[in-house]
Amino acid sequence: MTATDTLRPGRAAPAARRRTTAGPGGIRHSPLTARRRKLFWPLVLPAAAVYVVFFAGPSLFTLWLSLNKWAGAGPMTFTGLDNYRRLLQDPTFRHSFTNTLWIIFGAGGLTFLVSFGLTMVLRDMKGRKAARSILFFPNIVPSVVIAILWGFLFQQGGPVDSVTKGTGLPATNWLGQENLFKVIMIGLVWTSTGFYTTILMAAVDQIPPELYEDCELAGANALQKFRHVTLPLMWDVVGVCAVLWTISAVKVFEFIYAFAGAAGQMPDTGVWNTALYTYGEAFASGGVPRYGSAAASAVVMLALVGVLVVLIRRFMRRDSVQY
Amino acid sequence: MAVASPGRSPGRSPGPLARRLRRLTTGRLLGVPLVWLFAAFNVFVALWLLLSSVKTSDAIFSSPWRLPHTLKWGNYARAWTSGQFGHAALNTVVVVGGTALITVLLAAPAAYALSRITTRINSVLTLSFALGLGIPAQMAMLPLFVFMNRLELVNSLFGLIVVYVATSLPFAVFFLTGFFATLPVELEEAAALDGATPLRTFWQIMLPMARGGLVTVLILNIIQHWGETVFALVFIQTTDHQTLSLALLGFLQQMQYNGADWGGLFAGVALVVLPVLACYVWLGRRIIEGMTVGSVK
Repeated sequence: MTATDTLRPGRAAPAARRRTTAGPGGIRHSPLTARRRKLFWPLVLPAAAVYVVFFAGPSLFTLWLSLNKWAGAGPMTFTGLDNYRRLLQDPTFRHSFTNTLWIIFGAGGLTFLVSFGLTMVLRDMKGRKAARSILFFPNIVPSVVIAILWGFLFQQGGPVDSVTKGTGLPATNWLGQENLFKVIMIGLVWTSTGFYTTILMAAVDQIPPELYEDCELAGANALQKFRHVTLPLMWDVVGVCAVLWTISAVKVFEFIYAFAGAAGQMPDTGVWNTALYTYGEAFASGGVPRYGSAAASAVVMLALVGVLVVLIRRFMRRDSVQY
Repeated sequence: MAVASPGRSPGRSPGPLARRLRRLTTGRLLGVPLVWLFAAFNVFVALWLLLSSVKTSDAIFSSPWRLPHTLKWGNYARAWTSGQFGHAALNTVVVVGGTALITVLLAAPAAYALSRITTRINSVLTLSFALGLGIPAQMAMLPLFVFMNRLELVNSLFGLIVVYVATSLPFAVFFLTGFFATLPVELEEAAALDGATPLRTFWQIMLPMARGGLVTVLILNIIQHWGETVFALVFIQTTDHQTLSLALLGFLQQMQYNGADWGGLFAGVALVVLPVLACYVWLGRRIIEGMTVGSVK
């Protein structure tokens, strides 16, 4: 087994291929390439223009907006870091930020734990394809629908309630203040595990089965096999999963909005995350929209993604194992 | 890594039965039933949803586990008309279909160029598209709303399509760039030698070859936007333009004033979920692979 630090997942392969097609030698200067090059901008420009005008541009503008005071119309006044200072002092924002962190690390940790467990069991289980398909399904159902179903399951007199009553457990108000956010987090774990299990399974499938047989001969238990074979060999994929989770966890919105919101209104501020806070400040604040602080909150979301992705990459970077 | 280990004494290597027994560790004994329990829970939620959609609101609460005596198809009729799911479904089909088509039409040429025509700014462009994958919707929402308002594209289906297309492009371009890069160059060169113009090569050779990737992007895009809520909440303001997710939220709101119509709500939910479920049963593997592609290679 040799360790190299060159094996990076995903993007490396197509990039290498592209380089060979363009080649250092012949094709590069051929008339064919020259003619094709004329086509470059006509092909790229439409997509690039739509992307820049309606997505990238506005996002960049939000950066500038977060340094100003603005009500959506009329003049903007530059206020420097005022919006950010106000965010820090706003208990609602602080709580929302904490909730976002809870989703990223709490729900995320649980999701990964369950996904690892499922992956290990599914590795040589009968009917794994079927089980995987069923576990994956909640992932493609619209979050609004999942939220409504999840909310109903936990309602007073609902299925979960009647099960707990039936088994003699103490009656719990699942949707009460103290439990609401936990129930939301469990719901998030429920819908996301299928996705990460699928990715991890694909990584595990690439591990040669001989390694496991060898482990079994050496008398390793399941945990040892996981620790010494599975985890090292899918480390890169775990890193990719962590990045994907961070991005999607910060975006969580519909689930909380539809789950806890009393229909048409914003939910209780106790379950807000930064995504809801941003929306609330800009579009559901009742009075004058506070675009400045909404923009600042959005920037905080983006910064959180950026910082975490960099940290994950730093933390996950190590010599890949080639096998 | 050495697999067979001749050094080990043959007497210690267990027979097939012993080996199978050893594989029945406590972890597996507990794990397999737990996995099936998890899967059963998902199936059960789906069945329970479908059952509830043909029950009266009372029966949903009083006997949640029992099969209904009579099927209340009226739930669906109510959701379709008074819940305005019918109209919303039509809007959603228009928006989702339009978005998926335009996204592919824009992304395919761009991805082709980015993967096949090397210029100095290729990598910068590819990277800036990929960066869009990490930008939360909230980041673009505010200026976009003001901008679209000036263009009078707020509360219009076309406006929503434009927003959806713009936010779908990062993934579509990223996915298709990788896909085009895996296609062989030889055919393209042959076509060029035969005198086909670059545009024609792209249109008649490369696009048909990339059909698999294009269809995957199309499907994923449709699934992603079928129940999209964040942008719909911001950019659609009246019920005649609402999409399915907004119709669901609206129905919840109505229930506050007109009394709880859980049967109708579940019928509405079923109307949203059933197409997704059908699509999943039909194209499941492709969806799973498309969504998890690039993570493992």
